[in-house]
Amino acid sequence: MGLKKTTEAVGLRRIEPRDYARDGEGLLDQLADPDVSTRRWAARDIADHPQLARALCDRLAQEGDVSVREVMFTTLGQIGGTAVVQGLLPLLRSEDANLRNGAIETLAGMPNDVGPSIDLLLQDNDVDVRIFTVNLLGDLRHPRLPEWLALVLKGDAHVNVVAAALEVTAEVGGGPLLPAVKAARTRFADDPFIGFAADLAQQRIEAA
Amino acid sequence: MKSAALEQAVITDADFQKFREFFYRKTGIQFDDTKRYFVDKRLIERIEATGSDNFRQYFIGLRFEANGQEMQALVNAMTVNETYFFREQYQFECLVNSLLDEVADKKRPGQRIRIWSIPSSTGEEPYSIAIYLLERWARINEFDVEILSSDIDTQVLSMAQRGIYTQRSIANLPKAYLNKYFTQTKEGDWAISRDLVDAVEFSRVNLCDLNDTRRFRDVDIIFCRNLLIYFDDLSRRMAAEAMFDALRPGGFVCLGHSESMSRISSLFAVRRFPDAMVYQKPLEGKA
Repeated sequence: MGLKKTTEAVGLRRIEPRDYARDGEGLLDQLADPDVSTRRWAARDIADHPQLARALCDRLAQEGDVSVREVMFTTLGQIGGTAVVQGLLPLLRSEDANLRNGAIETLAGMPNDVGPSIDLLLQDNDVDVRIFTVNLLGDLRHPRLPEWLALVLKGDAHVNVVAAALEVTAEVGGGPLLPAVKAARTRFADDPFIGFAADLAQQRIEAA
Repeated sequence: MKSAALEQAVITDADFQKFREFFYRKTGIQFDDTKRYFVDKRLIERIEATGSDNFRQYFIGLRFEANGQEMQALVNAMTVNETYFFREQYQFECLVNSLLDEVADKKRPGQRIRIWSIPSSTGEEPYSIAIYLLERWARINEFDVEILSSDIDTQVLSMAQRGIYTQRSIANLPKAYLNKYFTQTKEGDWAISRDLVDAVEFSRVNLCDLNDTRRFRDVDIIFCRNLLIYFDDLSRRMAAEAMFDALRPGGFVCLGHSESMSRISSLFAVRRFPDAMVYQKPLEGKA
């Protein structure tokens, strides 16, 4: 007993032969396996099969285990690209907060791919989708970020969307957004929360 | 005297951008603008060492080399490896006062306990763990304990296996342990006991590379301290997921004092022990 040096045979698991085939079709099948660990490994290995990105997005809603879902989102973040964006955007409408937040977090990591969709999302008829899009902007490193925030602050008709934009502006906004903050305050002059949020955003920007 | 290559090599903004994107894709390690001087200096050293005329020539050679030797040399140059024995000691206290007993209570006497230390750097952490186990854990003789230790940098792995340390490295060690496990060399450095060197299994691993990490299974405790701070969000998540799959259900992860798993992944539960806060993979059925 005591300290014992391992050998390759016992300390590290041999890679070959693998328990399951790692071809694309096999991996997709394994995403439906009853064993959580098998599903998690399949989700990870799909990173080597970017053509399966859309199929992986489609499986997200069916996957009930949080640990598998988390790996699926990470794999999608690795793959990136338009197919992933198109597969994740519908999740902004999901009632499942875990799915929605996972989608927002993953999309935030691919600014160049998601950028072209933002204008359309900010005009969506669904207020919640616009709010989640603003949440996404809070984590999105994109050169058009100030422009999008200004668009919402100056033009969005719904108070909750504007409130969300003020919160993001307070965190990441700069001097050029001050006129838009003031415009939001004026547009919702009767709403005390907007007044409070606009003041806070202005203070933070001026103090920066 | 500067060589001709060193005088000629200039890393432009575009070169830096191109290089850091490439290096990130290969290793998961992200360099922001504040690391520009550090990166430029080491890139110029590698341009000089390979006899390349400029960044462009070096970069093309790097991208298309078949054997990966220069990539490894570059990784070795770009990684930071400063550590010392008994660094952030409170976590070793937690290991022997709480974690090991909890792990051991779920095993039969004689069963294996597996600890993985990554990054190994020059070996101070895995050897500190070994010393703590031998000196401070009363049940060490009831179990086989394996210590695995990995790093992306092959040069530091060689140094870890050589086991020679400067005065600065051993400054935190109690005198009694120093006398017991080290001998002083003629040069005034300290050579660690071969028994300890032989007790640790060193390996080269990139924590963001699935092909490297999938071999690691059934680990009970992982020390991964002050590594994730160099990663970006996506790489951190990949590293957290690799650790999750390497651990047994109920296994623990110890991160550096400034790192938080909760900000990286929701896979782990927070456990607060008297000496430290650590992260735990849920027991099966409790995920």
